[in-house]
Amino acid sequence: MSLVSSRHRTIARLHYRTMNTTEIAVIGAGPAGIAAAVTTAEAGAHVTLIDENPRPGGQYYKQPPFAFDTRTERWRQRSLPLSLAENIQHGRELLAGLNHSRITVRPNTLVWNITADRVLDLFAPEGGSRVQAKRVIVASGAYERVVPFGGWTLPGVTTVGAAQLLLKGQGLLLGQKILLCGTGPLLQLAAAQLLDAGAEIAAIVELHSRTEFLGQGLKLLGQWGKLGQGMAQQKRLVEAGVPIKYGSIVVEALGENQIEGAVIAKVDSNGHPLAGTEEKIYTDTLCINFGFVPATELTRLAGCEQYFDSHFDAFATKTNDELETSVRGIFAAGEVRGIGGVEVALLEGKLAGNAAARQLGYAAKANGHDPSTSQPLQREWQKARAAFESLSGMFAVKRDLFQSIADDVIVCRCEEVTAGARRDAARAGAQQLNALKAWNRCGMGRCQGRVCGPIAAQIIASETGANLELVGMLTARVAMTKCACGGAWRINWSSVSQIARVCSTS
Amino acid sequence: MTALSKCVPTLERGVPFTITVNGQAIEAYAGESIATALLAAGHRAFRKSDAGDAPRGLFCGMGICFDCLVTVDGLPNQRACMTEAREGSDVRVSET
Repeated sequence: MSLVSSRHRTIARLHYRTMNTTEIAVIGAGPAGIAAAVTTAEAGAHVTLIDENPRPGGQYYKQPPFAFDTRTERWRQRSLPLSLAENIQHGRELLAGLNHSRITVRPNTLVWNITADRVLDLFAPEGGSRVQAKRVIVASGAYERVVPFGGWTLPGVTTVGAAQLLLKGQGLLLGQKILLCGTGPLLQLAAAQLLDAGAEIAAIVELHSRTEFLGQGLKLLGQWGKLGQGMAQQKRLVEAGVPIKYGSIVVEALGENQIEGAVIAKVDSNGHPLAGTEEKIYTDTLCINFGFVPATELTRLAGCEQYFDSHFDAFATKTNDELETSVRGIFAAGEVRGIGGVEVALLEGKLAGNAAARQLGYAAKANGHDPSTSQPLQREWQKARAAFESLSGMFAVKRDLFQSIADDVIVCRCEEVTAGARRDAARAGAQQLNALKAWNRCGMGRCQGRVCGPIAAQIIASETGANLELVGMLTARVAMTKCACGGAWRINWSSVSQIARVCSTS
Repeated sequence: MTALSKCVPTLERGVPFTITVNGQAIEAYAGESIATALLAAGHRAFRKSDAGDAPRGLFCGMGICFDCLVTVDGLPNQRACMTEAREGSDVRVSET
């Protein structure tokens, strides 16, 4: 009998404030989750859409607070860079679909446990609850991939997404002089947006050489919208005199109590920094993004089979063409089943929504497609997936990059485990992520390996020569994310001052 | 403290209210996260790391990394990026 099941029984005995049932629970209110909720509701099912954020939209369609005045045309034209204002507007149009009598939106709500028989444990400011769903659609999205360097824990060093989210979701410009590093099209997009919003861009430090980058860009031929957008961004950046350092990485962030500058260096074609090419750049903010990693902890916890997506060097949740996972009744849509971008996520939301509704006997028309013959949608989806996968080279991380991380660089931010400690453990026999976690707590901290897991896997792989698929994933644990005990259950503690993991992690 | 982070000036935020950071009043607006209010007031280091005592601040901005933890109204370890500022919020950060 596994430890997890005994924990599940313990949890089941606890008294909940509320116990609900729903026909379809959709987890995650990003593009895939919204599309899934709208599709299932239109087909006739009752849907509960659950998201941890205060407003639906996910990260891609992050919406500014209602209290901000974003109603006027003037806002669209002047207040935020046009691409962001348009993005928020598209999100708003999509979100309008959630005003449906059969959709219940539960914002500020965290799913901290999920079982194979579709019981969800929820945590919200007003208290904990449990939901039994007939079908579950997991649309949990993705995280940003980061490659660490010395000083990356300094205040002022963030992900690229953090800077973008602050700008579009909060109207805040993170810094005055911003350096962006990593790989892929997001760097240039975010740089153009930050520039338009009034920041100075110290430089864009792109891992791929100019030839490699342009070579990847050629794959956009035929995807004219994306190609045009990319070229317009480049033009904007060049006109503003933004230095784009191709074939380079940041090797160190400098500063005492916050970032004050960075050392960058050129890399060879395998990602090894070249001695003698170091250059110091002054900056007050440094943003990192090396692509994305699917957020699979919920599907892992539910026992859904995962696969290694070699296009994006990351594990993702396996589904069939109906988007049902290996666990009957649990579907996965969007980035969680493989990085694919917003178009793919929207289509997968519809497909999963159709399939889930059909399993419950709803066959009404949804989004103009008869759920029993979702063929045209299927074809559109396969096409969109193939188009996105052709771009995967843009996000490709060079394996040697991880060899060159200095031994004293912290890799696990929570437990403060260094790259050297990980290498020692890997050499001594901890050749899988779970073994490494047991060895030196890497991945056991508050983030539960969301940030360091993919990095640790790459370090083990580069140290031992094993492939990433064999290095594996961290076992997902209840609770998925830290939440307050007193809120999760009806425990009448006078003061719930200690935030603790509800169940111990390992 | 000069803030490196600036609010986009053309965006209308409504009427400001006050929250306190280590007892000192700063301005915040409805819908802002505590991280936004802190950054706009010039705070970048929110806490010290558990083992190394090193300054930490906002990192992922979406609630997954748990590096931006602050104490809000007596509750420790609240994610500044995910917690909305409310009038009178009592926020505690570790000064560096």
